[in-house]
Amino acid sequence: MARVGVFVCFCGANIADFVDVPTVVEEAKKIREVKFAVDYKYMCSDPGQQMIRDAIVQYRLTSIVVAACSPRMHEKTFRKALSDAGMNPYLLEVANIREHSSWVHQKDKKAATEKAGDLVRMAVAKSIANEQLHEISVPVTKRALVIGGGIAGIQAALDIADAHIPVTLVERSPSIGGRMAQLDETFPTLDCSQCILTPKMVDVASHPYIELIPYSEVIELNGYVGNYKAKIRKKASYVNFKTCTGCGTCWQKCPVKVPNEYNMGIDKRKAIYTPFPQAVPNKPVIDAEHCTYLLKGKCGICAKFCEKGSIDFKMQDEVIEREIGAVVVATGYDLWDATPYEEYGVGRYKDIINSLEFERMVSANGPTGGLPIRPSDGKVPKTVVFIKCVGSRDKAKGIEFCSKICCMYTAKHAILLHHKVHDSRAYIFYMDIRAAGKGYEEFVNRAQVETGAVYLRGRVSKIYQKGEKLMVRGEDGQLGREVEVEADLVVLATAIIPYKTNPALAQLLGISYDKYGYLSEAHPKLRPVETAKAGIFLAGCTQAPKDIPDTVAQASACAAKVCGLFAGDTMKKDPMISTVNNEFCSGCQNCVQVCPYQAIVTEEIPLGHGAREMRTVAKINEGVCQGCGSCVAVCRSMAINLAGFTDPQIINEIVAI
Amino acid sequence: MKKVTYFPGCSAHGTSEEFDLTVKMVMKTLDVEMEEIPDWNCCGATSAHTMNESLAYALPLRNLVLAEKLSNDTMTIPCASCYQRLKATKVHMDEDPELAKKINTAVVGEGSYEGRVAVKSMLQYCYEDIGLEAIREKVTSPVSGMKLACYYGCLLTRPKAITRFDSPEYPMSMDKIVEALGAKAMPFDFKTECCGASFSISDTDVVLQLSGKILEMAKESGAHAIVVACPLCQSNLDMRQHDIEKKYKVKYDLPVFYLTQLMAMAFGFPKEKMMFGKHIIPVDSALAHIGEVIEEPKKPVKGKKAVQAESEVE
Ligand SMILES: Cc1cc2nc3c(=O)[nH]c(=O)nc-3n(C[C@H](O)[C@H](O)[C@H](O)COP(=O)(O)OP(=O)(O)OC[C@H]3O[C@@H](n4cnc5c(N)ncnc54)[C@H](O)[C@@H]3O)c2cc1C
Ligand code: SF4
Ligand code: SF4
Repeated sequence: MARVGVFVCFCGANIADFVDVPTVVEEAKKIREVKFAVDYKYMCSDPGQQMIRDAIVQYRLTSIVVAACSPRMHEKTFRKALSDAGMNPYLLEVANIREHSSWVHQKDKKAATEKAGDLVRMAVAKSIANEQLHEISVPVTKRALVIGGGIAGIQAALDIADAHIPVTLVERSPSIGGRMAQLDETFPTLDCSQCILTPKMVDVASHPYIELIPYSEVIELNGYVGNYKAKIRKKASYVNFKTCTGCGTCWQKCPVKVPNEYNMGIDKRKAIYTPFPQAVPNKPVIDAEHCTYLLKGKCGICAKFCEKGSIDFKMQDEVIEREIGAVVVATGYDLWDATPYEEYGVGRYKDIINSLEFERMVSANGPTGGLPIRPSDGKVPKTVVFIKCVGSRDKAKGIEFCSKICCMYTAKHAILLHHKVHDSRAYIFYMDIRAAGKGYEEFVNRAQVETGAVYLRGRVSKIYQKGEKLMVRGEDGQLGREVEVEADLVVLATAIIPYKTNPALAQLLGISYDKYGYLSEAHPKLRPVETAKAGIFLAGCTQAPKDIPDTVAQASACAAKVCGLFAGDTMKKDPMISTVNNEFCSGCQNCVQVCPYQAIVTEEIPLGHGAREMRTVAKINEGVCQGCGSCVAVCRSMAINLAGFTDPQIINEIVAI
Repeated sequence: MKKVTYFPGCSAHGTSEEFDLTVKMVMKTLDVEMEEIPDWNCCGATSAHTMNESLAYALPLRNLVLAEKLSNDTMTIPCASCYQRLKATKVHMDEDPELAKKINTAVVGEGSYEGRVAVKSMLQYCYEDIGLEAIREKVTSPVSGMKLACYYGCLLTRPKAITRFDSPEYPMSMDKIVEALGAKAMPFDFKTECCGASFSISDTDVVLQLSGKILEMAKESGAHAIVVACPLCQSNLDMRQHDIEKKYKVKYDLPVFYLTQLMAMAFGFPKEKMMFGKHIIPVDSALAHIGEVIEEPKKPVKGKKAVQAESEVE
């Protein structure tokens, strides 16, 4: 005879205010198998758990029902309490009377109480049919896949590799480095971006535990935490990296000029190119969309001049596979296209540029030799207007969120402008100055005091051309009047958004993303680097806009998570998975098709005992099965059983109400 | 032959007679038959919607209901203000059922509103329903040589949520029409700036300042004249021009044409039929440019070249 213990939680006022907890206890006591029922303020607290442990021993209980919050919250806690008392932890059932009753029926205490009673009755009935289950151990593939080689991907890869865990780093462009490689000096200390980044890039290339696969993309991911299989497409580079010395003859000779992405299109690169001199790997690739030979079969100049014979026009894309245990996604950000700001004349005026274009201009290795210029006539601007929140915090034209870093880099731009053009002046239109960070407020103050930058609190309503100047008309909110600034150059701090390709990537990885394409963390506060899918983590601007310090911190946090995951040789897994009863299986394979995790395969077994003829049955990989129950539902022969949710358990629940 | 319902509005029968007249000429040439709404009433602009919301909807609504009694599916309106009031009423009636219930009963005397008729400004009708191709086909005496600044004012394309036509900040439909007539539309940043019309009586200085800026920028663009598609735009920029010139001690001498006047001329109607005598700023200096060849200045590009999407071969 089953002996069930019921523990009903007040959850402070969360449950008790809307459900009459003592009544639920009294109701539970009426059930024949319930030998003990009690309530308590916080069941999850230590004294609460002690009550459970004591009752198990004292009343010789055979299963436990905790009526409290969602099992997602504390199922683990209570299972542990059971095992501490020597009881199999899977003899626990949680009746969720908070999310499923008190929170959603706040206006009707009587009904909420009745529903809570029903939920308890169901849980008690189910628990009677519970069986002892045991955790499963699955082997782990100790290799991490890092997608994206910006500072986030670089940092995560290095930290993981330093723990002697092999890493495969996949970067879409020909070189790692990401946006940080495009920056000049960095706030809040004004150290040179390249100088602090390049050593890390070199470390990646030479690290014995890092396999760097540039010019590639992940195209498929199968499997489950600890045992993923990734397919990676290596784009044809048409250059044999093994023999190429990176001498540069080919790109000097190539006659085709293409807007240079690294310099935001301000100058040109060749069809065969390395994105920038410090690129890692420092080997050129041929851009197939623009190479005359690949398009028309003519030219081939690079091949003629390459002394090493490294050019190989026959090279094809290649798909390779890697077995990995965890994934870090670090695919970074792009700038929002400000074309909807028609009142600014975006697209009509050449002398309106975005912040990364400005960043490239003032960079020592930039296309203009470190001087800002007016794209229209090449003159050095004296009056530069910076407009913040272009697209950010603008529901009507752009996006609702704050891009977080623009306040800081615009202050930096004012300083850099002052350094490069001493007799210049910056005017900065802003909504708020958000300088929350170590040394950040001081940095903004420095920009204001040192450079004489004029901060104007207000929005710009119009930009129009008058002669050579751009007239920037806006509001000076502090003086409550309209201002017009005659500008030589206007720099827009446009919103930070994820790459357009992020949703497609998220879909192939099976993780979620928000309406902007930012990848979603599992919990905004308590699980900021995990995704909802076990074993996939997020670093850097692919999750939300952030500066380099935050990006690096999150990347290192990812590394810690990966190392934790790989700490043992095997991984523990919940035993709630499906198994096929061969005797009943007809081999229809409906389940194979319906399983979202591709956990089901088929196998051949003898038709009868000792028979020679074979028949096909379904077989479930216990490592892959996530216990979703889809197969159970489609099996017409009732051959599949999901541990923890067996037919007797479910039927008991139904009968109980 | 197309048919369209016509809501002239009060200015068409008064101050902007020449607009009404040329609209009719142009439509005839373009094979469009216009059917005026019988017994139409005031649209309520600009006083009704600042005083009484129900009245502001009820007045245009009566016109919308009357328009539904005709068999045409589109109505066109020359005045931007009337257009704005009728279109706003239509959008709110179509999309706010609560309001529809409240207001509909107010004009129940004329029957109830069904939302069958599309409301378009004259500009929008020419651009969308007639189309540039059909306009170009009818041009017999192109007005080439004229450099024009197209002024849309505040109501033809705004607010976007109501008008749902062209860009609210930098519209191009009128520019494209005048180009179809052979003229050159100049890049003009002030094409949707406020002219200050609401302060016409109460604070004329504001009008002089705002309209003055529009004239200044039109002049700066190199235009010989301004083109408008609204009686209020026309009267503000034309009538106040001398005051502005006097106050700021400048000389603009920018005639302000109705779009349809230029269309009618390009369609071959003689200039005497345009009622140019009603204009304050004489139009002859601008019309004298017709037939001139406009040379495209070739700007030498120094320094950083424009970003080019396509690759180039050395
Ligand atoms: C104008 C400007 C100035 C700034 N100045 C500063 C500053 O002074 N100080 C500071 O702290 N921060 C600054 N920042 C912020 C800084 O750029 C970011 O914090 C940092 O670059 C984020 O790094 P990340 O690795 O997340 O993204 P990224 O640098 O964008 O790297 C992402 C990488 O992933 C790759 N990738 C994308 N999609 C895929 C895919 N599907 N598969 C494979 N690879 C992919 C990309 O090619 C790229 O290499 C500035 C930003 C801007 C816009
Ligand atoms: S074949 Fe010609 S165009 Fe193509 S990369 Fe080589 S040199 Fe450039
Ligand atoms: S659906 Fe059921 S019967 Fe069909 S193959 Fe799968 S387990 Fe066997």
